Amino acid sequence: MIHPQDRKVIQTISHPGENLSPQLLALLVFIMEIVSSFISILVGYQASKGYKASSAKGFLFLYMGFMVLGVGIFLRAITAVFFVLAIRTTETLPSSLVSLSNVAGIIFTVTQLGAYSLFTVTYAFQARSLGQRDLEVVGTVAAAVFPIARLFYIPALELLAISMLGFVTVSSLTHWLHQKTLASALVFIGFGFMLFSHLLFLFMIFDEVLLFFGQLVQLAGFMCLLIMLAKVNRTRV
Amino acid sequence: MSREHKEYRSKTRIYADILNSLLAHGGKSGPTHILLGANLSHDRLMKHLKQLIELGLICEEAESTEKIFKLTDKGRTFIIEFVKVEKFADAFGISI
Repeated sequence: MIHPQDRKVIQTISHPGENLSPQLLALLVFIMEIVSSFISILVGYQASKGYKASSAKGFLFLYMGFMVLGVGIFLRAITAVFFVLAIRTTETLPSSLVSLSNVAGIIFTVTQLGAYSLFTVTYAFQARSLGQRDLEVVGTVAAAVFPIARLFYIPALELLAISMLGFVTVSSLTHWLHQKTLASALVFIGFGFMLFSHLLFLFMIFDEVLLFFGQLVQLAGFMCLLIMLAKVNRTRV
Repeated sequence: MSREHKEYRSKTRIYADILNSLLAHGGKSGPTHILLGANLSHDRLMKHLKQLIELGLICEEAESTEKIFKLTDKGRTFIIEFVKVEKFADAFGISI
């Protein structure tokens, strides 16, 4: 079974004689993924600087999470291009290519889950270190509530990503409500957009245009993090 | 029964507090003002001041009978970078 996102890309790109709009959409999706991965790596780099300066474990988890996420998205975008080019040179889709596409899709999903796990650990660790037991409970309950609806098609790993992102989003919301700073608001909105994008990816099997909107929303999430980075780095004393 | 969380200051935070204390006094000050501003005991302060001199973040000058510590350019850069790290940490709710 081909990963739904890959299937969409293959369908739109492997028919060059048809209407160009689907191909333009696929190109836009590719550009959005590259930009998202770049921003993720930037945030990871900033977190690494923070870890180097303070040795705070939260920074280490954030650094690893954003790096894994950024590299995963980048590799996925590049391999998607590879598959498209490979498909264009063949009349029929060889089964080996399909298998390779599945493996690539699984690897991408696993890197995403790895990244979201690290984000979850960041907030859980932070809540525990500050003695905020109520935050841990709230976050865990929120994460459990998210995948309650059973659908006809359930990509289990996508639901896992949604659960983890749900916890992270609620934690960042709680933090923003406590701190009331623009930077923490941008982080909350960023994670919120990422969560929403995964919901769109989840429903992509019903309407494939949701892939495009999901990528757009995901990019919006990363843009929020980029704005936060720009604001933080504009600091003057 | 809840446990009270005791706030722990990292070494980097202590350095930042010392340097900010110097900055607040126009970039140079004697140990007494730094001690009050950074909220440290005398022994710990002197230990950290020695480390900061070795790192090149401050330098020592002799003015009449009192030692004066002065913020270097490297020290000012450290403060700016630390504030950025602090704001980034605050955005994600990480304590440093």
